[in-house]
Amino acid sequence: MLSGGPGGREAPPRILIVDDDPNLLVLLADQLRADGFDIQTARDGDEALRRLRTGWPDLLVIDMMMPRMDGLSLAREIKGRADLPIIVLSAIDAGDSKADLLEEVAEDYVTKPYHYPELRARINRVLRRLGDKVPRQSLVLGPDLTLDLHRREATVRGETVQLTPTESRLLYALAANLGQTVTTETLLARGWAETEDADPSYVWVTMRRLRQKVELDANRPVHLQTVRGIGYRLIGLQGASLVGPEPARRSDA
Amino acid sequence: MPDRAGAFRGDRPGDEGLVFPDIGPEERRPSIGPAVPRGSLGLGLSFRTRLMMGLIAAAISPLAVFGAVVFLLGRAVDDATVGRILLLVLVFAAMIAVLLAYLLAADLTAPLRAIAAAVERTSAGDLSTPIVVPGEDELARLAESHNRLASDLERRNRELGRILVALESGSPRDSPEFIAGRAAGDARTAFGLIDAEVRLVDPATVPAEERIPGESLPVRAVLRVGTDRLGVIVGHLPATRQWDRADQDLLELYASEIAVAIRNAQLFAQVESQNAQLVELDAAKDDFLRGVSHNLQTPLTSIRATADQLGRDRDDHRFGIIVEQTDRLSRMVRQLLTVTRLESGALRPRSEVVALAHPVRRAWEALAADGVTFAIDDQSAGWLAVADVDQLDQVLWALLDNAVKYGEGSAIDVEIAPETGPGPSRLRLTIADHGRGVTEADRGRLFRRFERGSDRTADDGSGLGLYVSRELCLAMGGDLVLEPTAADRGAAFSIYLPGEPPADADLGSTTVDQQT
Repeated sequence: MLSGGPGGREAPPRILIVDDDPNLLVLLADQLRADGFDIQTARDGDEALRRLRTGWPDLLVIDMMMPRMDGLSLAREIKGRADLPIIVLSAIDAGDSKADLLEEVAEDYVTKPYHYPELRARINRVLRRLGDKVPRQSLVLGPDLTLDLHRREATVRGETVQLTPTESRLLYALAANLGQTVTTETLLARGWAETEDADPSYVWVTMRRLRQKVELDANRPVHLQTVRGIGYRLIGLQGASLVGPEPARRSDA
Repeated sequence: MPDRAGAFRGDRPGDEGLVFPDIGPEERRPSIGPAVPRGSLGLGLSFRTRLMMGLIAAAISPLAVFGAVVFLLGRAVDDATVGRILLLVLVFAAMIAVLLAYLLAADLTAPLRAIAAAVERTSAGDLSTPIVVPGEDELARLAESHNRLASDLERRNRELGRILVALESGSPRDSPEFIAGRAAGDARTAFGLIDAEVRLVDPATVPAEERIPGESLPVRAVLRVGTDRLGVIVGHLPATRQWDRADQDLLELYASEIAVAIRNAQLFAQVESQNAQLVELDAAKDDFLRGVSHNLQTPLTSIRATADQLGRDRDDHRFGIIVEQTDRLSRMVRQLLTVTRLESGALRPRSEVVALAHPVRRAWEALAADGVTFAIDDQSAGWLAVADVDQLDQVLWALLDNAVKYGEGSAIDVEIAPETGPGPSRLRLTIADHGRGVTEADRGRLFRRFERGSDRTADDGSGLGLYVSRELCLAMGGDLVLEPTAADRGAAFSIYLPGEPPADADLGSTTVDQQT
C-alpha cells in the first residue's frame, strides 16, 4: 500500500485530469493510477465538460494554461454546475497576482513542475476535506467576528483582516466542526498536508497568530479556544449563523 | 395692455422656461407695483403744464375773486362795509391760494417721493418691484427709465447666477464635447439667446456674422485659456434685445470659464488614458510572463515526470541527474519571473509559520551536492519564522547553491538562532562556507543585479541569485546581509526573518477541559 493513497474499502476516488499536453496527461494518469486512483483524462475544457455530463468525478486536476478555454474559466464553469473539488496545475506561483484568483475558484493549486508526492498529498487533502460542509458563505460567529473563508477574510469589529492560506484551512476545519474539538493532529494534516516535516508547534503558533488576528483580546479568546491536551475548537456566540446569498425565509403563514 | 409683469418679478437664477422680456422702452408698461398717488389736478396733463397751471391758478384766483368782489361791492355798499368785506375776501382768497399751492405741491411731489423710495429699494437690491406712473409725463418716463435700469440689472444678475450654477455642475470626468454641448445650452438659457453653439475649433475658421438690422443679433466669444484658443461660442439674440458692453464682457467671462473646464477635461482624459494604457501594458506583461513561464515549465514538467517514473522502474542514477537538472532549470526560470514581479511590485509574499531547519534541509536535498559536508546547528529552540515558504525556498536554494559553488567543496555550516534584542523578535539563519570568502571590492556590489564575484569564473548562474534573495527577504519583512569576514570561515550570509516565540498546546488562558 502506498502512503497517502486512497483506502481500499471503498471505490477508488475518481479524478478527471484536464491538460493540453498529451505527454503530461499520460504520465500523470499513470502515476495516479499506480496509486490506486480511478483516472479519466480530457485534452481541453470542452472535452472535460462533455465528460462531466456522463458523471461527476470526485476531484478535477486542471491545467491553468490551455488553448481556447483556460483552466480558470473551466474551473468557474464547473463550479457553476456543481461544487466539485478542483486542483489547478499551473506554472504560476504564490507570488503571481493570479494566484489569489485561482484560490478563489479552485480548492488548491500546484505549481509546475510539480513534485508528484506533493501533488498526491494535496489531492488526498482536498478529498479528505470533502466532509467539511463549509459553504461559500459568510460565517457570523458573533457581533465582532465574521469569517469569509472562501475569500480568506475575517471581519473583526467591522475591520477586514486577511488570512493566509494555512490560517484559512485551519479555520475551515474548525468551522466544519463548529463547537466541537478538532485535534491538533487533524489541524496539522489539514494545514500542512504537503509539508512532511511540519510538527504540532506549527499549529500552536499559527493558532496564536490567528487569535491575535480575530480575537479582540488574544489572551482571553472567545472564539478560538484551546482544549487542553487535545486541540482546538471554534465557538460561535449566540446568534451565530451562516449569511449567504439566499437568506433563510421566514414563513408568515 | 398685455401683462408682461411676470418677467420683472424676482425669478431666481436657474428657473427654467423663463421668457426674457422685450425691453424696448415703448413696450414696457408694467401694471403692478406701488401705484404712485396722482395729484387731484393731474388729469393726464404733463408735469410742466400742471406746474404752470398750478402756479397761475395760485396767483390769479385770489386776485380774480378779489376783483370780482370789488366789482360787485363797489356799487352796493358804503366804504366802511367795503373795507370789511375786502378784508374778508382777501383772507378767503389767501386761503384759496394756500389750498391750491398745497394741492399742487402734493400732486407734484407724491410721484417724486415714490420714485425716490423705489430708487432706495433698488440700491438696496430689490430689483423686482417696478414703479408705476400712468400717463406719458416726465415723471412716468423717469419711472420707466428706472424700471428699465432695474430690470437690466436683474437680468444680468440672473445671467450671472445661471452661469455660476452652470459652471459648478461640471465634472472633470465629462468629455470636452459634453461640456461644450452643455455650455451651449446653459449660455442659451442664461443670456436669453435664440440659439447657441460651442465649436471646439480654431475660432478663426468660424467667420463672424454681420449684424443685419431687424434680424436676430449675432453674438460670439472666444474660448480662451491663457494664449490658447480652444474654440468659440456663437449664438443669436432676438432682434429686439439690447446687447451692450457689459453683456459682451459677461459672455466672454463665461467663455473663458468654459475654456478652463474643457482644458481640465482634456487633461483629465489624457491622464486617464495614459493610466489605462499603463494598466493594460502591465497586464500584458503579466500575461506574457505567465505564458513564458508556462511554455518553459510545461516541457520541464514532462521531462521531470518521465525521468522520475523511469528512475523508479530502473535503478539508474542518471535519471536522478535529469530530475535535478530539470529542477535547476525550472528554478532559474522562476527566478527570472520573480525578478520581474519584484520590480513591478506584483509580488505579495504570504506569512506562514515555519521551522527554518525544515526548508533548509529540503533545499539542501534538492541541491544534491554530493561530497560536501553539511551541518545544521539549530538553536531556534522552538522559534518559528514567519515567511512565505515558497519564496523562502528560492532564497535558501540560491544561497546554498552559492555556498557550494563558491565554497569550492568546503564544508557548509548553517546556524539558526533567535535574535531577541530591542524591537521585534527575529530569527537569524546564517549559511557559511569555508572558501575564500568575499573580497572587500566585491562586498559593495554583491547584491546588485547581474553581479558576480570579480575573481570568480562562474560558469553558470544568472547573477540574479543574491539580488532576488535579498529582495525576497525584504518583501517578507526580513533582510539578507553578508556577514563580516572572519578568519575561521569563508563567505557567510545571514537571512533575518520575523520570528514567533515557541508556543505549547496549552497556551492561552481560556482553556477548557476536554469534552466528549
